[in-house]
Amino acid sequence: MSADLGNVLEVRDVAVHFEGRGGMFSRSSHTVKAVNGVDLVIKPGETVALVGESGCGKSTLSNAIVGLQKPTAGSIRIGGDEVVGASRQQLNDIRRKVQMIFQDPALSLDPRSTVGATIGEPLTVRGIVKGQALKERVGQLLTQVGLRAEHADRYPHQFSGGQRQRIVIARALALEPELVVCDEPVSALDVSVRAQILNLLVALQKRTGVSYLFVSHDLAVVRHICDRVVVMYLGRFVEMADRDTFFANPKHPYTRALMSAVPEADPEVQRGKQRFILTGELPSPSNIPTGCAFHTRCPLATDICSHVRPELTPRADGALVACHHA
Amino acid sequence: MGMVMGTGTGTGAGTGVAAGIGTHMDTGIDLRPLLTVDDLTIEIGGAHVVDGVSFAVLPGQVMALVGESGCGKSLTAFAMLGLLPPAAKRRAGKILLEDTDLAAFSERQLRKARGKDISIIFQEPSASLDPLTTVGTQIAGAYRQHNSVSQRVALAKARDMLVAVGIPDPDRRLHQYPFELSGGMCQRIMIAIALICDPRVLVADEPTTALDVTIQAQILDVMKKLVAERGTSIVLITHDMGVVADIADHVAVMYAGRIAEIAPVRDLFRQPAHPYTALLLASVPKLDHAPKADLATIEGSVPQPHEFGVGCRFVERCPLATQKCRDEQPPLFARGPEHRAACWHSDRIGEITGVAA
Repeated sequence: MSADLGNVLEVRDVAVHFEGRGGMFSRSSHTVKAVNGVDLVIKPGETVALVGESGCGKSTLSNAIVGLQKPTAGSIRIGGDEVVGASRQQLNDIRRKVQMIFQDPALSLDPRSTVGATIGEPLTVRGIVKGQALKERVGQLLTQVGLRAEHADRYPHQFSGGQRQRIVIARALALEPELVVCDEPVSALDVSVRAQILNLLVALQKRTGVSYLFVSHDLAVVRHICDRVVVMYLGRFVEMADRDTFFANPKHPYTRALMSAVPEADPEVQRGKQRFILTGELPSPSNIPTGCAFHTRCPLATDICSHVRPELTPRADGALVACHHA
Repeated sequence: MGMVMGTGTGTGAGTGVAAGIGTHMDTGIDLRPLLTVDDLTIEIGGAHVVDGVSFAVLPGQVMALVGESGCGKSLTAFAMLGLLPPAAKRRAGKILLEDTDLAAFSERQLRKARGKDISIIFQEPSASLDPLTTVGTQIAGAYRQHNSVSQRVALAKARDMLVAVGIPDPDRRLHQYPFELSGGMCQRIMIAIALICDPRVLVADEPTTALDVTIQAQILDVMKKLVAERGTSIVLITHDMGVVADIADHVAVMYAGRIAEIAPVRDLFRQPAHPYTALLLASVPKLDHAPKADLATIEGSVPQPHEFGVGCRFVERCPLATQKCRDEQPPLFARGPEHRAACWHSDRIGEITGVAA
């Protein structure tokens, strides 16, 4: 597989394993396979949703993409540059092209720094601008996210949750990245504010052409903002499709269970819909079931599912699905 | 029935009490509210952070209290069990369990009532369970609080509860510690503790917010089953309109300490009569919404208690606001059977829903 220079992100066969030890008195050690061989491509201006439950490996994968976590195997290219095995200097350059937004803005801002210092930091650290030009650039970034230039002198505690997330977004945009990894960017926000931030992310993408990897469990939000959807279960992708195909015709039983579990904000739709409730819980990533990892909770599971792991295979409508029976 | 209908205070908030019983009165079926919150007012630092909140819940029904952070929904819930934080003072209002006013109870009386008459489950189950005690002992302890039985009998009862809340392998689970269980399991344990003495009212404060969606669906199903089988009334505190659509019979939308709108769940979603409700509903992406098209937003943010004016507390963010809204607090006007909204301009609501639709 040769690298396509036009892609913002190319993830090839990436695995992230953690060597765990048992408890204090346990002699055995075990490996937690948080991410277990995934491929993902994101094009310029595209928004891809990464969907799954806690423990499925979506945050580990995001961390690997922004260089916060070293993969055990595989290749991650951002704008054509290889992240895995890159030197410190190379990583520094690559990180300019990829930024991250976390769930809770209160935790991602330094309470002792003014908003201006926080947003300007990536620019000063890299010596891109300083003095009056820096001040102007910070003002620009603040206006871009719907705040005012004079807010630069204030501290995070003087802002509401939604405004803080705007500040975090302004900082992420300061270096004009090609890719922003958004890890549940609106989950901690109140409903009315959520819509403001989603509108902002869409508007910024239209203006700058930035790509998003949008990690979320909220399928309504995903349907609204994303072009393509990837579903992850216990370290692997189980379904990947463009938005319309995905929502019109979900195929993997896990995807269908997720969709049925998300309550629709409409009593008629919600109470009329066919329920497909999973029993049991996500198995531990240190002890992943053999064959298809989902077979322990799957209503369609047969004998083959516990022995043979299904590969992602293309379907007639273009979706990729890893299931023997879907 | 007079006791639920009365209480018209100057603010008119008391009229909200009627929601939840109207139609049943018309059919002549005697369905008296099990729980009636009447004109509840809570003060913190001189501001009424809960201001004249009234609603009633029928036996076996789910009343959802919906709103954003700081709207007073959790304080309302805590007040029902006499669990207000020290800084918060109840200035007025009754918490009627049938004819008994829990708000007039002493701490000693409250201890007897909690768990037996009215129970609560919180958002973060791991923070509510004792990490040093097996879950079986914790559930049994809740039972023995109100029943003089041996530990053996209480544990047997606890085991039955584990089955009722859908925990597989209950005999093994009884002897495990909270850290050995997942978040969803812990929340089921909390529900088991809350329900083991068969309380008539369960207050659930964001019971599924910390859980994954597939686990949330399981927990909501457990709650629905309990309502159906035991006739427990639930007051559900949430900010998730999806959860409301799934499980609530009636909904009270709260804003800045007051009830903005109260209605049967279908009416609220189909015909919101308060601009805040309408905007809240429009800001959630829907199936028929064009991808990446602008979502309706509510400009500004919720006022802080010291910023409350004399009029409608939504006035600064409301697209329909006029001078009247600034000067005078709107009472809860009837907008249909059991449907009330505190807005002077409900007749102009189409200006919002028309745009959002």
